[in-house]
Amino acid sequence: MDLEPTCLALLALRVQPSVNATVLLKAQGRDGSWGSFATDDEASGLTGLALLTLNTLGTFPDATSHAADWLLDAKGREASWIWKWKFRTTDTRVRFDPEKFGWPWDPGTCSWIVPTAFALLALKQSYPCCRRGRIAYRIQRGVEMLLDRACPKGGWNAGNGVVYGAPMAPHLDATAIALLAVRSEPRHELIERSLGWLEHQSSSCSAPWSLAWSILALDAYDMSVAPLQQRLPTITKPDEIDDTATLAAVALALDCTASGNPFKVIA
Amino acid sequence: MTRRAVLGGSVAIAAGAATSLPFLVPRYDWDRRPQRSGVAILPVGEYSEKLEGLLWEGLKLFHLQVAGKSILLKPNLVDYIPGAEINTHPLLVIAAVECFRRLGAKRVIVAEGPGHQRDTQLVLRATGLDQLLREHQILFVDLNRDEVIKLPLRSDYSGLKHLWLPRTVLAADFIVSMPKVKTHHWSGVTLSMKNMFGVVPGVKYGWPKNLLHWRGIQQSIVDLVATVPIHFVIADAIVCMEGNGPLTGTARRLDRIILSDDPVAADATCARLMGLLPECVPHVAETAKFLGNVLPGRIDQLAADVVSPAAPFQTVEEFEHLREKAGPQPATLP
Repeated sequence: MDLEPTCLALLALRVQPSVNATVLLKAQGRDGSWGSFATDDEASGLTGLALLTLNTLGTFPDATSHAADWLLDAKGREASWIWKWKFRTTDTRVRFDPEKFGWPWDPGTCSWIVPTAFALLALKQSYPCCRRGRIAYRIQRGVEMLLDRACPKGGWNAGNGVVYGAPMAPHLDATAIALLAVRSEPRHELIERSLGWLEHQSSSCSAPWSLAWSILALDAYDMSVAPLQQRLPTITKPDEIDDTATLAAVALALDCTASGNPFKVIA
Repeated sequence: MTRRAVLGGSVAIAAGAATSLPFLVPRYDWDRRPQRSGVAILPVGEYSEKLEGLLWEGLKLFHLQVAGKSILLKPNLVDYIPGAEINTHPLLVIAAVECFRRLGAKRVIVAEGPGHQRDTQLVLRATGLDQLLREHQILFVDLNRDEVIKLPLRSDYSGLKHLWLPRTVLAADFIVSMPKVKTHHWSGVTLSMKNMFGVVPGVKYGWPKNLLHWRGIQQSIVDLVATVPIHFVIADAIVCMEGNGPLTGTARRLDRIILSDDPVAADATCARLMGLLPECVPHVAETAKFLGNVLPGRIDQLAADVVSPAAPFQTVEEFEHLREKAGPQPATLP
């Protein structure tokens, strides 16, 4: 069981009566996180995606509260005072504000866009209202981190928007997932710019994974995705996709207007 | 008795402190340096269908015994940025596949786990490699999402002790690293050894493989190439990158392909062709102690001679000392 394809496949198949969360519940670690695959005993940066999946599949209060607690404790390494100090004084080649932190891919490393975006989606979904204390704090810091790391012209790369003074080019999937995470935030210029970039770039995207995530994000912002949905099956036949995560993302994208978009978190 | 056993207790005492002190003791317990290494520098004018013939002639210089073996070609496919020379050229990859097929390989696959871009298909399609792979019926494996196996590391510079690595890589009989010759803002250069970061699976370590950065890029490169042997190198030095590589630097032509049976010798030669000092690149200097040869006297140049450029490749400020005019400064791993 690999975590990301399992979560995406469960989300894509969520309307099937035979689909349940058993495989995910069994794979949860004692600390509340999930490993990247069955034999991995370290926490994955996609624990947020697993929590979002559980939240979507049903009501599992023990597992979801345990996972949410883990997420609230986990943080990028730049969150510690000594690394904040280092990034402010001696290691300034990458432009970012270490006060604004999110979630890492690997424990003990820096915050990155995709893990942070999935953690935010999961926490916003888990705590839809009345957020106080560390819940409000982590969500606020995570959103600030995403906005801080955006590329200068909009959109998101894997991490920072500027390295050694050079602006990084945005990635479609990272941009889409980050936009999903900030959908419930006040709309401002950076989000609008990123949406515009995503809409423009997705119109010529020929890769199913990126196009699928673009559709899911644009749909969540109530933008028209019908032309993109029509094009998606034409760029790759589903039976030619040998990667389960991509196949599931494609299924979710094709079905999001009819059966609902699980990444359109109401919060 | 191994070198590590001889050093005994003193190594144990030093080990903890050594992560933050300059390199003091060897962190390997065997020496697999060849007596001599072969390198062939092949002048090439452009990327074209002629690459296969040229590469074939170059490979013949090495008398490779690969008949019946499974070959894994590992190009450098980091990301796709229109107009930027950041990836190993697709025509060189295809030429290499066809040459190894002609040499009687049982199977030739192309495999990569892009370090930055999660959408590997996007990189393949945007670069045109996807179409060529189909036309030539070549299997591509996305190493970021391959099945993984936990493997102990064969040297101990990063402190990681083990890595999860793709089954496809570990199952290959013969691994060919095919780097794009570039400067790199974190590691000085990215050549055949740094290229192996692409075998570390994103499914476990994320995009990018940030754990390797935190454990020290130079140290992680050494541990990785000590554990996953590179059997041959085909380096794309036709159009290279200088300055703020590996993504946002400037294209620079060297008009060459570099072949080698020793990744350390390959990287040392590439660095010299770039006008850089290989002995000042920490991972090159360190691997020269137990994995391969860096000294010109132990490298047989089988084709063209090494000629340094009139002006060394530009680097970011932190690696200015690599440029030949700055004068050599022996490297140590921090």
